[in-house]
Amino acid sequence: MPRKGPVTKRDVLQDPVYNSKIVTRFVNKVMLDGKKSVAENIVYDAFDIIRAKTGKDPLEVFETAMKNVMPVLEVRARRVGGANYQVPIEVRADRRLSLGIRWLVNYSRLRGEKTMRERLAAELIDASNNTGATIKKKEDTHKMAEANKAFAHYRW
Amino acid sequence: MALVTYYGTGRRKTSVARVRLVPGEGNILVNDRTIAEYFGRKTLELIVKQPLNLTETLGKYNVLIKVEGGGPSGQAGAVRHGISRALLKVDAEYRPSLKKAGFLTRDPREKERRKYGLKKARKASQFSKR
Repeated sequence: MPRKGPVTKRDVLQDPVYNSKIVTRFVNKVMLDGKKSVAENIVYDAFDIIRAKTGKDPLEVFETAMKNVMPVLEVRARRVGGANYQVPIEVRADRRLSLGIRWLVNYSRLRGEKTMRERLAAELIDASNNTGATIKKKEDTHKMAEANKAFAHYRW
Repeated sequence: MALVTYYGTGRRKTSVARVRLVPGEGNILVNDRTIAEYFGRKTLELIVKQPLNLTETLGKYNVLIKVEGGGPSGQAGAVRHGISRALLKVDAEYRPSLKKAGFLTRDPREKERRKYGLKKARKASQFSKR
C-alpha cells in the first residue's frame, strides 16, 4: 500500500495499427519476459487470422469479444464474526477491462491449437460468439455472485 | 547547403539522437535508412512521428537523424526528444503543446547499476536463516 496518497493510473500509447489502447494493453498481457515485439507480432498475426477466418474487421471482433467477457459482478471474501462470506460486488470499470484481458489471454494459452497466434484468434472468435472457456469463466463468476446474493448486504 | 536547417539533440536511456529538420516533403531518414527500415516496428515509428503529428508538421520537413547508442526503443525515444527540440527552434509557439505531451522532458530513467552483495540492482539472493 502506498503511503503517499493514491497511485496514479499509468496510460498506455495506442497501438499503431488499430489505434486502440485496449489492443496495446492486450499486447502487454500477451508479452512474456519483456519481449514486446514478439507479443506484437503474435497479436497482429492473430488479428490477421481472424480477418481470414471470419471476413470481419478484426478490431470489431476483438471489441465484441471484450464486451462479452467483461464481468459485471464478482464475489469477494469478507470476514464477519468469524465466518467468511462470499459477498457479491460490482466490478469497477477499469478492473472489468483488466479481468477481461487477463481471462482472454490466460484461457487462450490453455487451448489446444499449435501456435499462440491460432489460439488467440480462435479464443477471440469464440468469445465474440459467446462461446469458449473465457465466456464460461465470466458466467461462472456471475453464477457465484448470483448464488451468494443473500450476503449482498455485507457490502462494505 | 543554403537551406535553413533546424537542429535538436535528443536523449533517452543511453541513446543520443542528432536531428536536423530541413523544409521539404516529409522524408524521414534515420542513419541514412528509412524509418520503417531502421526501426522495423510500427510502435517505434509511431513514437518517432508523435511530435510531428502533434504540431501538424508531418510532411513539411525532411527529417535527418543520426542516432547512436542503446537499443531500438531508447533510440526511438531519443529521436522523439530531438525532433521536439528541433521543432522549438522552428517556432516557439509549439512549446505549450509539446511540453504538455511531455516530449520536451528528458526521460531520466536509466539502467540502475548492480550493487555488490546483490544479484542485480535490487534483487538479493534468498535469505537463509542458517
